Amino acid sequence: MTSNPTSPAPRATLAASPSAIGASAAHRPARETTRRGELVATGLTRRFGSVVAVDSVSLTLKAGEIHGLIGPNGSGKTTFLNLLTGYYKVDEGRIVVDADDLTAAPVQRRPHFGIARTFQKPRLLGSLTVLDNAMLGGWEHAQSGFLETALALPRARREDRQQRELAAELLHGVGLGNILTRRANLLDHAEQRFLEIARGLTMRPSFILLDEPAGGLTEHEIEQLARIVVQLRECGVGVLIVEHHTDFVFRICDRVTTLNLGKMIKHGTPDEVRNDPEVIRVYLGA
Amino acid sequence: MNSHQGRLAVLLVGLVALATLPFWAHDPYQVHLATLIGAYWILVAGLNLVVGYTGLLSIGHVGLLAIGSYAFAILVDHHGANPYVAMLAAGAIGGVCGFILGLPSLRLPGFYFAMATMAFSMIVSEFLLAQDSLTGGGAGIAVPGFNKPFDTPNGLFWLVMLIAAFVTWLTWNVSRLMWGRAMIALRDSDVAAAAVGVPVFSIKLIVYTFSGVTAAVAGALFGSLQSYVTPETFHFELGLFFFICIVIGGRGAIIGPLLGTIVLTALPEVVAPLAKLGQFFYGALLLLVVLLVPEGIGNLVKIVREKIRPRRLEKHVVAPDLARLAAAIGNRSAS
Repeated sequence: MTSNPTSPAPRATLAASPSAIGASAAHRPARETTRRGELVATGLTRRFGSVVAVDSVSLTLKAGEIHGLIGPNGSGKTTFLNLLTGYYKVDEGRIVVDADDLTAAPVQRRPHFGIARTFQKPRLLGSLTVLDNAMLGGWEHAQSGFLETALALPRARREDRQQRELAAELLHGVGLGNILTRRANLLDHAEQRFLEIARGLTMRPSFILLDEPAGGLTEHEIEQLARIVVQLRECGVGVLIVEHHTDFVFRICDRVTTLNLGKMIKHGTPDEVRNDPEVIRVYLGA
Repeated sequence: MNSHQGRLAVLLVGLVALATLPFWAHDPYQVHLATLIGAYWILVAGLNLVVGYTGLLSIGHVGLLAIGSYAFAILVDHHGANPYVAMLAAGAIGGVCGFILGLPSLRLPGFYFAMATMAFSMIVSEFLLAQDSLTGGGAGIAVPGFNKPFDTPNGLFWLVMLIAAFVTWLTWNVSRLMWGRAMIALRDSDVAAAAVGVPVFSIKLIVYTFSGVTAAVAGALFGSLQSYVTPETFHFELGLFFFICIVIGGRGAIIGPLLGTIVLTALPEVVAPLAKLGQFFYGALLLLVVLLVPEGIGNLVKIVREKIRPRRLEKHVVAPDLARLAAAIGNRSAS
């Protein structure tokens, strides 16, 4: 795990977390999942007709680090994220998590490799409650088959209860604890974004990919988001943030990758990227 | 907790009233009608998982109902099978047919899937007409009754109610546990479903297969109740009728489609002038519900309550509890 001296460390949260882990050990997930070390994309290329949307981009996301992906509109950030999560097929290149190659794995298999994501436009189930939405993320870890569920055999009920407890704890953790039973179509924008993060975390991922998480949030809400993301790093989760709020990205990220016209133009620490002449020219402005 | 107990009490009273129906019914026809509703409901309960929860537009379940009736009749009459064993076998055959129908057609997008299920019900109808050495062709086939203790009309009523209660319990479990959320995700946002690892196709196929089993079991009971069936009994409109029961009742719940089935089956029988209107009645009712209460009549009480006393949503400021978050995630670093 790389720790970056240039990123400001949140002292308060660092101090708070160890005691809290001891305090509510009962809420620990019963079944530990495989912990993954790093997600490595090598030379990913994706073409739409004659347009090369992503042109041989490589990126390594380590568990326990926050990695920012920035660039102007149309630079291929979201396309790259959709390649990582399988919504687009990769034309060239490889995606590997530790020793497992998932380049050709379908979308629904990616969670198995410890990858969770959120969407630019939140994708929630409007007719279900906040709690049920978050619980949906537990599917990957539920083992009960259809008949087992239909007959409500002990394992199906136990798994459901465990998912409910975990989802409720995570929702309290991201600040939605007081609206567990509210229907998701009644949520405001910030609540939807935080709920998507909670749903992703219910998957107990090693990596979570956030697609413009700060979009449409107020200053205060962005601050809360930053605290959550930093906490994820402390817990050993790798976070990839695709974002336009560069202040937010430079403040919390350990490393930043900049894309322009599908190509990577700069990769490094926030300070290196912020002061790179090419990045300033095409994106940040003088 | 109180409203929970209240609901339980209502449920219990309803069940007792239903179980004793043959003792307080005015004439045997009412028991017959209740048995018919029960048989329909066994099919609709399974279909509800397909249409109401998973969001698949299956309008051809009448084909699976027909397969259940004929399989049951042929097994008992031609092969001397025990009726109870034959009913289970019919269910298994219905499951296999559902699986075979679902395997190619569940890959089709909504509208085309509906067309495939419609074609299936028509193929079944034609098959029943053509294979007259097996099915009696257009003349139809006599469907035997059950053995003791369910050999009387009242006995059949109780048998249907037992199976209907069991199937309802099964679908309730599926809908309230993990599977229900996965199915609703397939209905409302397949993108979100795939993102959390829900295996889209296999869930659809398993749920569809289950609905094939319940449809065929319903077919055995329905056939036994009618005592004689022909390919005409299983006209395409009956398949549409099951679908409409769910749409009118409301998606994503069990009580709605149950109400839909009861109302749509009983109303034309109870109110004689409606019977003459036939299809027009269903059409008009469907139009009214879709226009006025698209959430379905099962949600009528909830809608009216929200109209009278709208819930006020207080704006709250998101305040993460990082200690609790850390505890819930645990330490995930690969050390």
